[in-house]
Amino acid sequence: MASKHKEAAGYDSGSGRFDLDAGQLQALLNEAKRFKGESLWQDAWRRLGRNRGAWWSLVFLTLFVGLSFFAPVLPLPSPMALDPQSEPQPPFLPWEASPRLPENLPPGRSFEFGTGATSSLGAFADNAWRHRTFLDFQLRAEWLPGDPPPGGDELRDLVKAASGRSSAVFVKDGDEPGTVIERHAVPLRDGDRARVEYRPTGFDGTAQVLVVGRDAGAREAWVDFEVDLDRGALESYEVRTSGDGIELVYTLGDEGDQLRDRRYLAEVRGADGITVTRLRIDGERVPLSWSVDGGADPAGLDGQTDAADDLVAALESADQIDLQHLSELQVVSQDGERSIVVRRQAVPAIGQEGHNHADLARAVRAEIASRGSRAALLEMSHLDGIWDLNPLDRALVWVRTKVFGLWQTGPLLGTDNKGRDLLARIVWGSRISIQVSLVATLCSLLIGVTYGAFSGLVGGRTDNLMMRIVDVLYSVPFIFVVIFLITLINEYRTDLADYGIGYMTVFYVVIGAIYWLTMARVVRGQVLSLKNQEFVEAARVLGASTPRILFVHLVPNVLSIVIVYLTLTIPAVMLFEAFLSFLGLGVEPPKVSWGLLAVDGTEAISAVKTFWWVVVFPAMAMGSTLLALNILGDGLRDALDPKLRGKD
Amino acid sequence: MLQFLFRRLLWFAITLFSVVTISFFLMRAVRGGPFDNERALHPAIEANLEARYHLDWPVWKQYLQYVGPFNLDHEGLVLFGGDNSNVFGGVLTGDLGPSFKLRDYTVNDIIGQSLPISIALGSVAMAIALTLGLTAGIVSALRRGTALDLGMRLFATVGIALPNFVIAAFLIIIFAFQLELLPVAGWGSPRYLPLPALALGAPFAAYIARLTRTGMLEVLSADYIRTARAKGLPEWLVLLRHAIKGGILPVVSYLGPATAGILTGSLVIERMFAIPGTGSHFVGSALNRDYTLAMGVTILYTVLVYGLNTLVDLAYTLLDPRIELENS
Repeated sequence: MASKHKEAAGYDSGSGRFDLDAGQLQALLNEAKRFKGESLWQDAWRRLGRNRGAWWSLVFLTLFVGLSFFAPVLPLPSPMALDPQSEPQPPFLPWEASPRLPENLPPGRSFEFGTGATSSLGAFADNAWRHRTFLDFQLRAEWLPGDPPPGGDELRDLVKAASGRSSAVFVKDGDEPGTVIERHAVPLRDGDRARVEYRPTGFDGTAQVLVVGRDAGAREAWVDFEVDLDRGALESYEVRTSGDGIELVYTLGDEGDQLRDRRYLAEVRGADGITVTRLRIDGERVPLSWSVDGGADPAGLDGQTDAADDLVAALESADQIDLQHLSELQVVSQDGERSIVVRRQAVPAIGQEGHNHADLARAVRAEIASRGSRAALLEMSHLDGIWDLNPLDRALVWVRTKVFGLWQTGPLLGTDNKGRDLLARIVWGSRISIQVSLVATLCSLLIGVTYGAFSGLVGGRTDNLMMRIVDVLYSVPFIFVVIFLITLINEYRTDLADYGIGYMTVFYVVIGAIYWLTMARVVRGQVLSLKNQEFVEAARVLGASTPRILFVHLVPNVLSIVIVYLTLTIPAVMLFEAFLSFLGLGVEPPKVSWGLLAVDGTEAISAVKTFWWVVVFPAMAMGSTLLALNILGDGLRDALDPKLRGKD
Repeated sequence: MLQFLFRRLLWFAITLFSVVTISFFLMRAVRGGPFDNERALHPAIEANLEARYHLDWPVWKQYLQYVGPFNLDHEGLVLFGGDNSNVFGGVLTGDLGPSFKLRDYTVNDIIGQSLPISIALGSVAMAIALTLGLTAGIVSALRRGTALDLGMRLFATVGIALPNFVIAAFLIIIFAFQLELLPVAGWGSPRYLPLPALALGAPFAAYIARLTRTGMLEVLSADYIRTARAKGLPEWLVLLRHAIKGGILPVVSYLGPATAGILTGSLVIERMFAIPGTGSHFVGSALNRDYTLAMGVTILYTVLVYGLNTLVDLAYTLLDPRIELENS
């Protein structure tokens, strides 16, 4: 640089003097004016670029965040449980054929490999990711030895006729020899949803229930119900058909009281041929709840209803059973020629992760046996809820269907024990994990910077007291307080939901509220050293208020160190989220986070076969991200360290 | 020194007081008591239960009952004594009350049974973390730039970046299922100890290794080490007598947070390995709304963390004469 200027400016090497004309002098002056010193940020950026590890970490993280942001566009299978047969199953490796592939996929929608997801992709754009809304039939057939087994086509036709669409069929052997149980899953579409519409005034509402009939003429019909909501929030609905009417049974919850109310709400309307009813209620306060009645056989109906009531009574009286924790329940009566599902109940599953379903099922069976009831609990399993997407994600899904159509990748990293695609879960889980860590970190940033800067600026006794409070909080084992707080908050969940505050929001705030301590200390120290400098005094002399000095003059100056601590807080929060998820207090299914994935991995460990991929791949994703964040944080610390400034 | 201890004690009292008070009132303010079930209790039974645990008293009275060695009868307040032997002594006397859910046990019983297990697990984990971490850190600093150094640093960074239950999963797969050396989970004999202790200690070992390496590198380039070498001391003596003492100082200051971290981590590890320690009791109690037990464990761990932190600060001054105890 210097030598070039000497040449350009006409440096006379012989005499050692400048020989400049006016134009050259002006150009030099202009250049001097334009020249600004390298700012702290430019310097830091340059030094970060030199730090190979930190630089690649930054690139990796940028790519990864981008990938997870655009996850809905990627042609991945659904991250939720897609398969209605959601009993724990051994996970599958990518190269193992999935035995649970639906047999009769609609033409043109078959895929090389994939899970049960594929058949539900038909309504992809309409339903976004509501794959979980399957209409689920469970039928048991009996035949005499020697006869050709019934089943297969006959039942399938029945289901098809009832629902108007093809089903995925799962067949398994029945309990008794010579029986077979078929399970049919039919994807629901948007139009299928039964609605409960509230009147604008009061709490009275009108329920509209979609009834699907077997006869070809009147396949679907809307039936109106009046629902009396005066007494509290709706908890669950069930529709039954009987010989002389359709019955809407619903449960009202009143401030936590176990209030039950059953009514007949409608007379028979064209009951002939109506064999299947279903109901799904959409509403903010109403949990997913639907039921299936099969085979309105007037002769067998009493027995079936009795069996159902027996089971509910058994459930209520058996100790240790919390209906809130039971997510799904079926009863099969064993008194008729055919055995038919008479009751299926989905109850809101809160905190279900901590419950052992095997224990629950054992207790229920024992209770039923002790009553000598004819009911038999056939199956009980988790029913994941619905993962609603926000409008942006819906738009991204729309883009996906335009770009990729219905094509999706197979289980590239294998599946987990519920047949869910592991890669999809990792990618979708990264969204929640990143979201949690970013929001919680921002929370801690807000509290910590304000608190620390205020404390440092005011100084004196207030400062001393405020820092003592931080010291006290430091010595409290926070994890215990957080667990305590989260369990307390769980009690007020529905109330918070009324104010539009979701559980996740609370979760963010609680995590953020415990990570601000270090930030507050660091910022305070920084402010203390800055506040006596001239520029602050100048501002004060000019009459700036304390908040103005704080946010306009001091905060920008502590920004560098805050950024460093942010990058180091994010991995800590991610680990903490995993920790809480492990204890069943974190993100709740059907949503998935890396913490939950790691938990799934630990649950998949078994002595029979090592499902290593369920442990290894999520661990790799989590480990590499946290590693990159740590390296980036260290790199930023070096890059922003004023002591090292300009040294390399 | 004495002044320092006194100051610490004072702040400890304040901390404990706020923890007890805030969590007590939060606990009482929250809807849904420990006796709420799906099936409503008979009112008479409920009244009896509430009377047994004094839940029918006004809240301030319950608080005094919980905190102090007051003998509160229905007539009023009787200090130290009285004939009602049914009441418990309060937190100040070390009585944490009865458990709401495990009806036949007091919180002290439960802690008395489970704390030795947790302490055994925690101290072994700490020992593992220190041994592994210090060895790896020192070796890594001495062999700086070699493949050994690189490998150990890689291990350390991975150990920091993974949650401990994932490490536990790997350990179970390798040692319990593949090599079949150790039992998968449980408690009772020393064979059950290595896996959970290793899983619990591993992240801290990784962090300690990193701290030691940095500290040792800094010390090894210090002047007094050069002096020691110049006067002809053998290398091992330089290392043992001069370098290590300065090099592990950062580790000592990390011991406080590490202890807290190990206590915290044991919540998960005890659950994962089905160890009946205090941590697993705590999680169970918090989920079951067994408030007295949850509070009791919180108080216990506050005391533990605070006490150990104070010890660490004391040790720090003994190791490094340049540092004086805080006197602000």
